[in-house]
Amino acid sequence: MDMLHNIIYGFQVAFQPINFLFCGIGVLVGTLIGVLPGIGPAGAMALLLPATFHVSPTATLILLAGIYYGVNYGGSTTSILVNIPGEATSVITCLDGYQMARQGHAGLALGLAAGGSFIAGTIANIGLMLVAVPLANMALAFGPPEYFALMCMGLVIVTYLAQRSVLKAIMMALVGILLGSIGLDLISGLPRFTLGINELSDGIGIVPLCMGLFGITEIFENLEGEMRQQEVFKARLRNLWPSFKDWMRCKWAILRGSLIGFILGILPGAGPIISSFVSYAVEKKVSKTPEKFGTGMMEGVAGPESANNAAAGSALIPLLSLGIPPNPIMALLFSALIIHGLQPGPLLIREHPDLFWGLVGSLYLGNLLLLILNLPLIGIWVKVLQIPYKILFPLILLFCLIGAYTLNNLSFDLYIMFFFGTLGWIMKKFGYEPAPLILAYILGPMLENNLRQSLLISQGKFMIFLTRPISAVALGIVCLLLLSNLLPFLKRRRQNYEQFK
Amino acid sequence: MKALELASSLFWLLVSLVFIAASVRLGTGSVHNPGMGFITFWAAGILGLLSLGLFVKALFEKEVLSPDEPLFGKTWPRTAIVLALLIVYSVFMPKLGYLISTFVLMSLLFWILEKGKIGFVLLYAALSTFVTYQVFSKWLNCQFPDGFFGF
Repeated sequence: MDMLHNIIYGFQVAFQPINFLFCGIGVLVGTLIGVLPGIGPAGAMALLLPATFHVSPTATLILLAGIYYGVNYGGSTTSILVNIPGEATSVITCLDGYQMARQGHAGLALGLAAGGSFIAGTIANIGLMLVAVPLANMALAFGPPEYFALMCMGLVIVTYLAQRSVLKAIMMALVGILLGSIGLDLISGLPRFTLGINELSDGIGIVPLCMGLFGITEIFENLEGEMRQQEVFKARLRNLWPSFKDWMRCKWAILRGSLIGFILGILPGAGPIISSFVSYAVEKKVSKTPEKFGTGMMEGVAGPESANNAAAGSALIPLLSLGIPPNPIMALLFSALIIHGLQPGPLLIREHPDLFWGLVGSLYLGNLLLLILNLPLIGIWVKVLQIPYKILFPLILLFCLIGAYTLNNLSFDLYIMFFFGTLGWIMKKFGYEPAPLILAYILGPMLENNLRQSLLISQGKFMIFLTRPISAVALGIVCLLLLSNLLPFLKRRRQNYEQFK
Repeated sequence: MKALELASSLFWLLVSLVFIAASVRLGTGSVHNPGMGFITFWAAGILGLLSLGLFVKALFEKEVLSPDEPLFGKTWPRTAIVLALLIVYSVFMPKLGYLISTFVLMSLLFWILEKGKIGFVLLYAALSTFVTYQVFSKWLNCQFPDGFFGF
């Protein structure tokens, strides 16, 4: 009964004019960002953050979350019609989605992607409601050792799931911790590594850092290349809504995708990208005709698209119930809450029910809006894709400049953005990924605070982390994950030894 | 590839050494009473060790990439010019104001990408400057600097 009451309350909050408007803007901007190359959800969220200073934290969260899950819808459109994913979350959709479009089933592929995303988004919302509140209540009993261990686990999982070298990902996480330590020390209140620069007293801003590492880096990479215009596949968009038979064929793919996305979305670092890949692999595995994957299989579109949307929804769980952001986008949401004077953590849902339940209501609303608005607007998104790069890139650069500057009205933030933009551009050439850095940058100060508090409580005894069950289990997982990196090395050694024998 | 790995590992080793020295100066404290430089000392220390590990790994690894693959793309000077323009813009924007400095920046950016079409460049630069000013400054209440000229 309580749950029903809360859902109704959530819808009341979500339907307030300002919240409804921000939800609509969020999902539309998200779709646009998903379609456009060169600016990702992090950049878009950072850009619109200053515009939310005059509205409530609930409206802010609704807007930013709308961008986040709207991106997945936009990304699938370009994957299917152009064979170029607007976002990394839709990379795998290219394989079968584009083939479906080539065979004259572009409308069906888009309809399946949108419908699957809607169903998965709804399932993730239900999961969010069911899991977040009990988890937050449980987390009230957590102390600094548990938080320290959980954050360690989060960081290690992020680095473990790195697309390239795990060693480099760990190095980036450490750099993130070091960058996060710049500013006033949390316990003594004294400046640390500020080099006497007043602007660094509050630390390096998350917005210029994210915009630099994601937005500017991407633009620099494109400027350096040939800047070829994408060729839009001219398909007649008809029969956008799949038939009953199509739905029946894809129902298990959608359900499996939703489940995979929901579970992986909660895990730090995994999120929508990995879940879409895992979902595709599972669909191929369970299919009676795995050899047909890549030639235009409906399940190859429905599964991954459901997975990435479910993951986008469930990623909110650790942020809202534990105060631990599982990925860089959630780190931006975390920062937005801090800017609005709210502390993400177990007390957030209890102390600000309007924020949590309003967000839940907006997630239902936003998913529905995406479904209603996006399919008829597909023609417009295709036109957006045809905007020449020579117009697009200066504009995206200008948006980045505005986003970074208007947060504090400081040119210093622009310098920070350019510095990290250049660093990110060079780092990519050397095979370093920015995601672990961003997450460690956010978690670093919290990690340090909890470690120092734990050691103060235990009078310097590290056993405090092993005598508490949750922290012991989390640290055990950390050790297992780190040791598992040695397995390929040991296997190679063994093979060499056996060959030698 | 090997040279890149060696160079990048040495760079991060240097960064770690700088942070270790700074952490020691701040005071690492003890396990019973961790100081301001405690966690940064350990983080920088591990970073240094991993950088060394990467250096050694790269040193003994066989070269796998063809040497003719360039590190930077053909048009990298264009990126360098854009970066320089952006830095100059950041310095002069508070003094010249948003409208003038942004118009100049956008004109130059459009010109770099679409050389020769002055009409196109000026039109798009003016449009992008005024539309963003209207949307962000007037509608969304973001504050832009007025500069010497008051606009």
